[in-house]
Amino acid sequence: MTSHHIANEIHHVVREKKPFSLVDDLLMSRWFLYSMSVILFLGIWYYVVYIDVFGRGLCYPHEVITEIIRLTSRKLAGKELWEHAWDSSRRVFIGFGIACVLGIPLGFFMGISKYFNAVFNPIFNLIKPMPPISWVSLSILWLGIGEEPKIFIIAIGAFVPLVLNAYNGIRLIDEELYDVVRMAGGSHMKEIWEVSFPAAVPAIFAGLQIALSGAWSCVLAAELVSSRSGLGFVIVQGMNTGKAAMVIAGMLLIALIAYVCSFCISYLERKICPWRRDLSTH
Amino acid sequence: MHNIKIACENVSKTFLQKGDTRVDVLKDVSITVRDNEFVVILGPGQCGKTTLLRMIAGFEKPTTGRVLMDGQPVGGPGRDKGFVFQSYMLFAWRTVRGNVEVGLRMRGVPKAERRVISQQYIDMVGLTGFENHYPHQLSGGMKQRVGIARAYCNDPQIMLLDEPFGQLDAQTRLYMEKETERIWLQEKRTVIFVTNNIDEALTLGDRIYTMKDKLPGTLCNCYEVDLPRPRESTDKEFLRLRKQIIEESELVL
Ligand SMILES: Nc1ncnc2c1ncn2[C@@H]1O[C@H](COP(=O)(O)OP(=O)(O)OP(=O)(O)O)[C@@H](O)[C@H]1O
Ligand SMILES: [Mg+2]
Repeated sequence: MTSHHIANEIHHVVREKKPFSLVDDLLMSRWFLYSMSVILFLGIWYYVVYIDVFGRGLCYPHEVITEIIRLTSRKLAGKELWEHAWDSSRRVFIGFGIACVLGIPLGFFMGISKYFNAVFNPIFNLIKPMPPISWVSLSILWLGIGEEPKIFIIAIGAFVPLVLNAYNGIRLIDEELYDVVRMAGGSHMKEIWEVSFPAAVPAIFAGLQIALSGAWSCVLAAELVSSRSGLGFVIVQGMNTGKAAMVIAGMLLIALIAYVCSFCISYLERKICPWRRDLSTH
Repeated sequence: MHNIKIACENVSKTFLQKGDTRVDVLKDVSITVRDNEFVVILGPGQCGKTTLLRMIAGFEKPTTGRVLMDGQPVGGPGRDKGFVFQSYMLFAWRTVRGNVEVGLRMRGVPKAERRVISQQYIDMVGLTGFENHYPHQLSGGMKQRVGIARAYCNDPQIMLLDEPFGQLDAQTRLYMEKETERIWLQEKRTVIFVTNNIDEALTLGDRIYTMKDKLPGTLCNCYEVDLPRPRESTDKEFLRLRKQIIEESELVL
């Protein structure tokens, strides 16, 4: 029995190449549509500033770039721009890391053990709906105004989606997959190792992505309240001095760093899960 | 030679659904399967076929009655009972080879030996060249071949196949039936094959048990199919039996 017997079971989809007109070709091109959307956005932005809708509240897009260049060449509260960016990033990484170490195992064990679930689920359900930012005041009361309260808030913000996704990742596994292990004479431990772990990985990665963006929005909240460093501090400085360009520069940098982080997680996921159809093939 | 391999004695199963609704799924089912026999259980949808097979596999316990294998009550699932699942149940995160080797890994067979054994069964089901494909890269028929190779890899005494080709198109299905027969002739095992397709039942079975529709599922009749293999669906005796089964079991086709 060789592979050509199976060939009739594989259906190749061959897309026919039709002769497109120029307009069709342009509309089919992803890059064309991307650039159109960016140009449109910038155009509206220029126009809104031109007709002076927000007054000093908004600057031209190119002024944001010049502002970033200007900020890189001078210090703010004794720190350079990249140091502020690093301060924020460091807080996110530490808080996010703590949340991962605590949250993923918690969700995982809640998924595989009903006793564990019975103990932790009520507490978790209480914490789950609380907005992370509502912890700001409490964390300052507990931990003062140093690094700890900021990291605490970030950890809380990242914690909830991590637990939730790990937990659901386990819960939504088809029970019959465990029967495959049982059929092969495997123990309960083997079921967890062979099925629970790998089957939950995609859900855990989804949790990482959500948690990361959660962490970045929390670092802002934490730095807006009390901080002498970080991109949140840069934004507050811009606000206090009435410089829209500085505020937007801060926002832009956060978006950039958060995007790079998210890209790294996607990359890691592709490496770890080469079996995901939506990831490995197009 | 004609030892009784599997015996279900007055097996009934009642499920508790959503707390306290009791659903009688099977009632008083008794079947016997001889050594190396190919028995087909033919029944319409939702009559408890999967439940019966899962009890023989040891995944579920009968509410009343007994399931015996070699005269001993079936304790639980194990590698002596191979199961091929209705909806494939492949590990998406493993390649074809990784899926086929699952039982060997569980037993701690060293890698080199694992390779040899799994390759033998991958070749047997005709997946040579697809060892490193992931399930999402396979067609339905190929997925079920993996399911079959995976079950054979545990070297089971009995093979339980639960509507293995139910999700395939008619042409592929016919082809897979021929393949199943070929594999069975090559690697004789006691086989219990569940299906809702009468032609599939007549093509494959040494004996056919029919089940009534409506819950609780009960057995209807048992037919000996004494036709030479490979069978032709245009054969006179084949057609006569087909007609008889349809009339006697009110199968809706
Ligand atoms: N674990 C379970 N708990 C509760 N009810 C169940 C369970 N397993 C099966 N049932 C019920 O038993 C009935 C028969 O199910 P079963 O899967 O055995 O039928 P089937 O003949 O295999 O159907 P199909 O042809 O669709 O595969 C169904 O109505 C189902 O709801
Ligand atoms: Mg079924």
